[in-house]
Amino acid sequence: MKRISSPHTGSIGAFRRGPRRALALVGTLGVSAFVTSCASGAELDTMKPKGPTADDLHNLIVPVFIVAGVVLALVIGGTILMIRKFGVKEYTEVDFPEQIHGNTRLEIGWTIVPAMILAVVAVFTVSVLQTQNKYHKDQALSVVVVGQQWWWEYRYYDGGFDPAKNYDLGIDVRLNEIQNHKGKTEKHPVIVTATQLVVPVGTEIDLYITSRDVNHSHWIPALNGKRDAIPGRIQPWKIEADDPGVYFGQCTEFCGLSHSRMRMQVVAMTDADFQTWWAQQKAPATATTPEGQAWLDQQKAITAGTFNSKVDPSKVLAAPTASAADRGMAIFRGQCTRCHLATGINEDIYTGEAQQVSKAAPNLTHFSSRTTYAGGIFNLYNPDGTVNRPQLEAWLRNPPKEKPAYAVGERGMPNLQLSEPQINDLVEYLLSTGTKPAAEIITKTEVE
Amino acid sequence: MADVAVATHAPAEHAGDDGHGHGASTGISNTKLAMWLFLGSECLLFGGLISTYLLYKNRIAEGSIGPKDVFDIPFTSASSFVLLMSSLTMVLALSAIQRGDERANRVWLLTTAVLGSIFIGGQIYEFTGFYREGLGYTTNIFGSAFYTLTGFHGVHVSIGIIMLMSLFVRSYRGHLHQAQAETVEIIGLYWHFVDVVWIVIFTIVYLIP
Amino acid sequence: MAIIEQPLAIGTGRAPEVRSPLGVFARPTAKGGWRSWVTTVDHKKIGIMYGAAGLVFFLVGGIEALLIRIQLARPDGSLLSAETYNQIYTMHGVTMIFLVAMPLGAAFSNYFIPLQVGARDVAFPRLNAFSFWCFLVGGLFLSSSWIFGGGADGGWFAYAPNTGVAYSPGHGMDFYALGLQITGIASLVGAINLITTVLNMRTKGMSLMRMPVLTWMLLVTQFLLLFAIPVITVALFLLTFDRRFGANFFRVEAGADPLLWQHLFWIFGHPEVYVLVLPAFGIVSEIIPTFSRKPIFGYSFMVGSGIAIGFMGWGVWAHHMFVSGIGPLSVTAFSLSTMFIAVPTGVKILNWLATMWGGRLRFEVPMLYAIAVPAMFTIGGLSGVTHSVSPADTQQTDTYYIVAHFHYVVFGGIIMAFYGGFYFWWPKIFGYKLDSKLGKVNFWLQLIGMNMTFGPMHILGLQGMSRRIDHYSPGFGFEFWNLIVSIGAFIIALSVASFLVNVVLSTVRYKRGLIPPAGPDPWDARSLEWMTASPVPEHNFDEEIEVRGLDEFWHRKYGYDKDHKVVRIATGEEVAHKGDNKNVHLPSPSYWPLVVALGLPLIGYGLIFNLLLTIPGAILLLGGVYGWVMEPPDDPNKAHGHDDHDDPSPGLALASVGAEEVGNG
Repeated sequence: MKRISSPHTGSIGAFRRGPRRALALVGTLGVSAFVTSCASGAELDTMKPKGPTADDLHNLIVPVFIVAGVVLALVIGGTILMIRKFGVKEYTEVDFPEQIHGNTRLEIGWTIVPAMILAVVAVFTVSVLQTQNKYHKDQALSVVVVGQQWWWEYRYYDGGFDPAKNYDLGIDVRLNEIQNHKGKTEKHPVIVTATQLVVPVGTEIDLYITSRDVNHSHWIPALNGKRDAIPGRIQPWKIEADDPGVYFGQCTEFCGLSHSRMRMQVVAMTDADFQTWWAQQKAPATATTPEGQAWLDQQKAITAGTFNSKVDPSKVLAAPTASAADRGMAIFRGQCTRCHLATGINEDIYTGEAQQVSKAAPNLTHFSSRTTYAGGIFNLYNPDGTVNRPQLEAWLRNPPKEKPAYAVGERGMPNLQLSEPQINDLVEYLLSTGTKPAAEIITKTEVE
Repeated sequence: MADVAVATHAPAEHAGDDGHGHGASTGISNTKLAMWLFLGSECLLFGGLISTYLLYKNRIAEGSIGPKDVFDIPFTSASSFVLLMSSLTMVLALSAIQRGDERANRVWLLTTAVLGSIFIGGQIYEFTGFYREGLGYTTNIFGSAFYTLTGFHGVHVSIGIIMLMSLFVRSYRGHLHQAQAETVEIIGLYWHFVDVVWIVIFTIVYLIP
Repeated sequence: MAIIEQPLAIGTGRAPEVRSPLGVFARPTAKGGWRSWVTTVDHKKIGIMYGAAGLVFFLVGGIEALLIRIQLARPDGSLLSAETYNQIYTMHGVTMIFLVAMPLGAAFSNYFIPLQVGARDVAFPRLNAFSFWCFLVGGLFLSSSWIFGGGADGGWFAYAPNTGVAYSPGHGMDFYALGLQITGIASLVGAINLITTVLNMRTKGMSLMRMPVLTWMLLVTQFLLLFAIPVITVALFLLTFDRRFGANFFRVEAGADPLLWQHLFWIFGHPEVYVLVLPAFGIVSEIIPTFSRKPIFGYSFMVGSGIAIGFMGWGVWAHHMFVSGIGPLSVTAFSLSTMFIAVPTGVKILNWLATMWGGRLRFEVPMLYAIAVPAMFTIGGLSGVTHSVSPADTQQTDTYYIVAHFHYVVFGGIIMAFYGGFYFWWPKIFGYKLDSKLGKVNFWLQLIGMNMTFGPMHILGLQGMSRRIDHYSPGFGFEFWNLIVSIGAFIIALSVASFLVNVVLSTVRYKRGLIPPAGPDPWDARSLEWMTASPVPEHNFDEEIEVRGLDEFWHRKYGYDKDHKVVRIATGEEVAHKGDNKNVHLPSPSYWPLVVALGLPLIGYGLIFNLLLTIPGAILLLGGVYGWVMEPPDDPNKAHGHDDHDDPSPGLALASVGAEEVGNG
């Protein structure tokens, strides 16, 4: 089990925000203690903010921790003092303290003083709360975040996403349908990806969080707090990363069997890198050889009705055989279309009604441009950049064995009983679907 | 519940010490106090159900069967009137037993129970009609919320009818006298509460669009 | 259980004639053996049974906790599958809250409310027995889910829609919904009974502001239950109707809003927190003055802050939902109300410290616990304040930070106080003290164990460890502290074992005459329960007590000389009643509360497995209610004066017992 060191964010960023004290309030052995939580590789550490909102939260809570620590020290110190000062071994018939029944002034005092301290905390709380909940609705880049048992989907909208304009914020939000339940045509996302949220640095990204099945919670501790993904609701949230890097997250609202295996990452890139990524992601997938592409085109023509195989059976092309990736592509069209969409490969036959409770599965158009899969728990690449084939093959061979899922209950990926040659071809196909990410990203996104 | 608050803050004088130390310190008998407390708790039960209904009544898909499609206001108004009248007969029953008129008490108890039964009959008739029009318990979220709320109330009325009838039987067998007027009073409290709840439900569910 | 086998002194010795109300059961007359326990209507026996049952469930919940900690001791733990883990942690929470903390609170309420207000019993003795049996069958019903395919798996607050049939197809959630419904009846009936007792059954001169703080806190608790239980009743009904009858309350496709469950649950759930904690506050408020030789400091502020907590507890529920998307305005409001509920709690802690100030502190075992509670509770309270800082709470909530927070409250505050209560009142209940040396071992293991277990959870939470995860991967820095936490959990287990050993050893020693009887007043205490023999005789007090002030018993023992110095007037033994009055009129035992309660789980099984099973359940329930109302509260053959027990008339019995139930059947 190896772990790559925490995301490198550069010392410049740290200097800009001034020294940070990562303080944790701990009550150990009944004594208050301030300790620095400085465990290495602490990607989820809430005390290491890497973005403006997270900074705000951190700067708000640390003084509260300190005040709380002082109060705790006073209470425990006072108790210990009294134990030492007023303790007796045995009672005698004459040794009685003064029978004090109370002191109204004192009691009013210690009702008001804590209230005043809390009032000060309240002022700062409300102020940060307002900043945290202020959104720039005209942002160029908005991402709809959809939680599902047990992975996250990220849907990018070109030119922003205004829930009031594009969607009826009503009750049945089926984001994978072109028409919503009231028959309004919705704007389509230009990119749909899973598990890894790619964003440009230094830009506030508006998130619209929802769920297709049960409650989840989207949480990238380094960038902001969490927001629940509730089915039937689209909830605004925002994140912003100061520096390029990878920021880890974990679903934090219990969502069933594989809740602990529902993870995600934010990959923050420079603007230029992001533009490149954006262009790559927008392009539809293609077959790897002309033979495969010809077959694919003919298949689509059959679906569209522009080619009738019965009229001229001799013109029907056989499924591609030469290239393993194209064989895999054909298998993908046949076996995986019930759930998965790969734009350019099977959008003609994909119904958007996956054979699952949630009716959706990850979009695989550019699968190999992502470094983790299956809810962010497996690495697609080894740290040296080579492909981690055994893991991917094992996943295709028997997914429920690799990740607990109620596959029979239509949740999670079922065992498709693929043959070994099929698995091999599918792996080749999946690896051909996108550009391999930069080596730095591969190492930084490495999990377990 | 204002009345519960009154009970809580009643002065701590000692009414009726009886040698065992369990006279009613508040001046209200144990059973009556318990009924008031129970009714206070019931307020929250119906509060929860009514809130659920209010949240859900308009959340049905377009074209699905809703309140406007099924409600027959005149009919329900009539049955509500019947239930309201039963509160009056309940008062008459109590006043009869308090002045020792056991026969009148029986008559009014029976009348109250019959009026309650007419209301329940009306509710069953109404539900059957709604079901025929296509509103089942599972049809949509309005159906679930509506039947649950009114069903809970109907169950409460039915329990009230059983209690009234058991009082009637006790009286008929000669076990209910002026000395037990408080028993009638306590069951009357329950009956009036159930009526008041219906007024709230009728207003919120049927009358407010 | 050693705890329940202790014989109690019995008041009346005359063998009454037998009469059978329905021709089914003879009026129970057993004075000893198991029969006297199953038919008892004595608030003290019922209190002991609540305590014993709570402790048994405490062991069950504790074993679940140990399994969780073994699983999480190392990264990628594989002792439990994800499926089992989710059931274990859910049942740990449900068991500890509903089947341990609540009944232990009920044990203290039942035993001490009548004694502290100077009453002979509660207002409705048979309803009291019914409450207990309801709780017990509800708890057993809930636990029986392990035999019938597995426990609930949705977390103790069971957020919709994860609890729907689509996402939780097993029967665990059905057991959860119906089991809590049954224990809810127990709490509701108990609340009505105990409020009536406090308000109506106080002895002469016992005005409200002369009641001990414990009774006050228990009274507020019962009011909270009275109004909170119906809310979860609604939520559980909706869930049951969804799961069993296809209703749409939490089906998002049909237009449901999952936040409805969250609101209903937490409107119940937050007052519930105070239901658990107020009895603990009351216990501490009894122990500290006794072992400081001083009256409680600021009695009216103690009472007032308890009432304030009771009221404010209704205005903070949505602080459990700061990340649920309730809107910034609601978050602001609930954030502020949550901050200010800390004020009355702080008043209590400072008043306890002020009670100790200048006192003569004697560190008997109960006092050790009572001193630890303010300190431990302060940690839980302060982390609670950090949660109320709502923007920052979006980082802390649903991590181990909040697990640390509520365990400091529930374990550090409540369980520690209950331990203190056990040691304090054990001589009153059973007639002998528990061993003090073992008690100190118990205490220190407890204090060290709980801080080792729950202290590091703060760090884990801030490091980003989510709650409710069945494993964690190496490399997030979670390894070290998780190991410490797991070691701490086993120290707590040792502490619990030392308590059980103490109970068994002390009992055996007492029976062999190696420990002297404790006498009525072993601690030189202050309130009325000490003014009678130990163990408390069935009739409580030999004669009615007239109360002239707070701490009546203490003032009968001590007076002031002309220099305003305390002088002894009499010893506790002299003041206390001998408990030998044979002429006190007592309520008669009854089988019917048990019969009625036994119908409920049958109806529950029927709703889950086969509706036919509900028929015998309903027969038991309705037949039991019929037998109950036909049976006079007191055996008329016993000719002990007039019947002044306001046991329910037929109507009231139906209303209070039936109203919740008929919807069920």
